[in-house]
Amino acid sequence: MADVATNTAGVLTASGGALPRKRQSVKASVVFFDVALKWVCRGAAMTILLMLLLPVLVLLRQAWPAIQTYGAGFLVTSTWRANELEQPARDAAGKIIIENGETVINVLPAEFGALPVLYGTAVSSAIALLFAVPFGLAAALFIVRVAPKLKIAGPLSFLIEFLAAIPSLAYGIWGLFVLAPMLSTYVGPALASTLGNVPGFDWMFYQTITIGGTETRRPISFTGRDMLCGGLVLGIMILPIITAVSRDVLKNVPRAQIEGSLAMGATWWQSCIEMLRYGRAGLFGAVILGLARAAGETMAVTMVIGNNNQIVPSPFAPAQTMASLLANEFAEATTGIHRAALLYVALILLVMSLLFNVVARYFVVGRAIK
Amino acid sequence: MAVRRENKFARVTSTVMYVACSAASVIILLLLIWITGYLVNIGMASLNLDFFTQVATGDPESPGGMRHAIQGTIILLALASLVGVPLGLLAGIYLAEYAADAGHLNTVVRFTADVLTGLPSIVVGIVGYELIVVPMGNYSGYAGAAALAFIMVPIVARTSEEMLRLVPHSYREGSLGLGATKAQTIFNVVIPAAAGSVVTGIMLALARVAGETAPLLFTALGSRLLTTNPSQPFPSLTLQIYSYATGPYVKERQMAWAGMLVLIAMLFLLNMLIRYVAHRSVRKFQVN
Repeated sequence: MADVATNTAGVLTASGGALPRKRQSVKASVVFFDVALKWVCRGAAMTILLMLLLPVLVLLRQAWPAIQTYGAGFLVTSTWRANELEQPARDAAGKIIIENGETVINVLPAEFGALPVLYGTAVSSAIALLFAVPFGLAAALFIVRVAPKLKIAGPLSFLIEFLAAIPSLAYGIWGLFVLAPMLSTYVGPALASTLGNVPGFDWMFYQTITIGGTETRRPISFTGRDMLCGGLVLGIMILPIITAVSRDVLKNVPRAQIEGSLAMGATWWQSCIEMLRYGRAGLFGAVILGLARAAGETMAVTMVIGNNNQIVPSPFAPAQTMASLLANEFAEATTGIHRAALLYVALILLVMSLLFNVVARYFVVGRAIK
Repeated sequence: MAVRRENKFARVTSTVMYVACSAASVIILLLLIWITGYLVNIGMASLNLDFFTQVATGDPESPGGMRHAIQGTIILLALASLVGVPLGLLAGIYLAEYAADAGHLNTVVRFTADVLTGLPSIVVGIVGYELIVVPMGNYSGYAGAAALAFIMVPIVARTSEEMLRLVPHSYREGSLGLGATKAQTIFNVVIPAAAGSVVTGIMLALARVAGETAPLLFTALGSRLLTTNPSQPFPSLTLQIYSYATGPYVKERQMAWAGMLVLIAMLFLLNMLIRYVAHRSVRKFQVN
């Protein structure tokens, strides 16, 4: 019984011939431990699979009321009204209707739609990528092609990794107290005084709002806590991961590829392009990985994006991302449907980031790096 | 003639791009110096002994200190490690040592762990809320620790797997050849040989969750009390920093800045340590 469970015990019996009976009885506990460890380890590995499944199931179940009520239309509805809203009814001309000396009140029910936060997430992530991809790729090229000659590749890599280790709260504080005031006092007004006079750029500085049934166009005030600030802080935050992954991808480009192109008379930059082309799948993965980070990032964005559920094309208008909406409203959601709607948003965020991660890992791990 | 002109153009482009790449790196460097410099600067200005010895008073004019929050974070990390480290380590052992008889499943588990490390931490917090806070009836340190453990497991699993793989096969063969079982080999030979680097993986996971705020928002909730009872709302350094930094009071903001400095200093030291240990243990096997 004792030595059947493992091959090692079997090997020993075969080579050593007849073992003393006493040692075999000692082996029983050892073999039990051997089998137990295997199953415990297997259990731990299965737990990891469960850890992926569990959040999806939990969110799906808790968000079900909202999924049933709003369905797929949730994704394209731009109203987010957590509470019933009473407002005076108006006629076609925008005049308040008065019957029997009293204003007629329309009660608007609570309504939820994810379009503003989807828009906010998409645009802030896009701004982040616009900033982080060129800088990240350039830095990765520098680390792989230039830094080794200057013997600073090690320290540079350490700095990039440290940049990644700084908590998002720190970026949030910096964004809130440094970047936002800078954007509102210098960048915004400077752009407004130059681009503001150029036709075709009004969308950047004006916003159309409805007050009392009439549409008014008014200039956007530069608060600094807006889409642009959120996007830039996100960009700085995803810079390390894009740089680090691109660096690993570029490092894995065979030397022959570079040396070959240099031998053919290519310039430094031409051989760099060759490298980028060779590692394009992995670089794409790096960008998607950065995108996933940006889309799911919470604390820093919540601090600097202004937290306003609206769709305004201007980068100077406050906005809201999925993650910041959750951080802002989840604790205060009192009604069941409000909470369910928030969990619906969380589910979308989860599925989206899973998707991004799967795609990115496929390209980074599955194709570029062995 | 035409070829020559093209060459010249290519050369100029190359030089321009070379300068651009270097400039981009310098800009990133300056950005890093700017951000950390700013945080260190404002942090130093408001850091004092009270920060470490006093508890929050609730009075915006003299907010006391952050002793409760520091202690809370340490307890939360310890509780999270209690669950996250063994679970992650065992999964890592499975991936590294039992790979042969797992086949396809091995790839799936590894891929899943990789994907899990990219999960938005706010979602982890919300799942923790639904799974632990709602059934228990109140916010608690246990829920916060569970959320942190959730984030730790895949990181510990993947790093320990990679570290265990660094141990040369001859070690295992020697042990098995002497008649040890697989479990004995793993515990007496492989893990001791990779101990330094496995510790690196654990520290890496700790460094990652020590700065997390989002998973704690709806689980630990935060508290201004010096408490060691994890079944109640629990203080954490990050939560306290967040609530102070976004609040309106100047003195409390200064507290947040000091807290941020302490957190960053802790993470910096941890990172240095990780680099040192990892470097040493990787070299150990390269020499062989």
